[in-house]
Amino acid sequence: MYRQVAILLSFLFCTTLNAHEMTPAYPTLKPSYIDGVYVTKMKMFNRRKEIEYYAIQVFTHDWKPLPFASTSKIINVGHNKRKLFEVFIRSRDVDKATYICTESKVFKNTEQVTLVSSKICSKIKQNK
Amino acid sequence: MIKRLATIALLMSATSAMAVDSPINGVVEPKCSIWTETNGVYGHPLPYKLTTAAADGGVAASIRVDVAQADYYKTKFTHPNSFSSSPTLTDAVAWTGSTVVGQVGVAGMSAYEAAKVTYNNVTEFNMTLAGSTWFTVASSASYGSTKALPAGNYTAMIVAECIAK
Repeated sequence: MYRQVAILLSFLFCTTLNAHEMTPAYPTLKPSYIDGVYVTKMKMFNRRKEIEYYAIQVFTHDWKPLPFASTSKIINVGHNKRKLFEVFIRSRDVDKATYICTESKVFKNTEQVTLVSSKICSKIKQNK
Repeated sequence: MIKRLATIALLMSATSAMAVDSPINGVVEPKCSIWTETNGVYGHPLPYKLTTAAADGGVAASIRVDVAQADYYKTKFTHPNSFSSSPTLTDAVAWTGSTVVGQVGVAGMSAYEAAKVTYNNVTEFNMTLAGSTWFTVASSASYGSTKALPAGNYTAMIVAECIAK
């Protein structure tokens, strides 16, 4: 009973909490308007009040970083704002690209003693 | 007569205007949200020790992970093994930490605790059910076995990850 009440209260007060979301979970790479470059569109939602910046990263299946292009590798997403961004990957790297991630960036001179860095990774759907 | 007809025509057109659909669209898709409910606070029970243990005046971090569709994601929590900012430290710091399942939105999620995989300072959970799971991350740092920590601000980072499977 107490657990159910606690969960209910947590849901009721969840509007004051902080969240990081990114979709789609399984993006698909498509040829872009640039020859030899593939692109996918991602959407991020920032409900973390203390976080304004997120880093975009692309990894192989064994978590090695891959080169990519976007409007910026560090994106500014305001509190309670959505951000659409594109990730461009060279055609020769398409088979190796597995994860697209966004990771919260924290200011160094913060006064908080422990901090939580959130990272969400989507898995690229391979069209084979 | 013409006035009556005009009134009827006006009413009919008004009725049809009110019947125009105004759809609200929504999409349910696999999604993971990381909610930082409590950032965590280090207590300082001994000159050489910082800990999030409640008995020592600390607060463990509480992180909620919402998964919209079952079995699409795994989560990884990395408890700190270094300070991201601190005064200059001349001796080694011994770190300990853990991540455990706290509250669960669905009873079956309690099994995540037994099935978790731990290596180095990382704990992995396979999110096989849709819903909310609360994770509690604890951390403790002891300086130079029993050396007093220099005065200043200490910050350590917990990394919470949600990775599509």
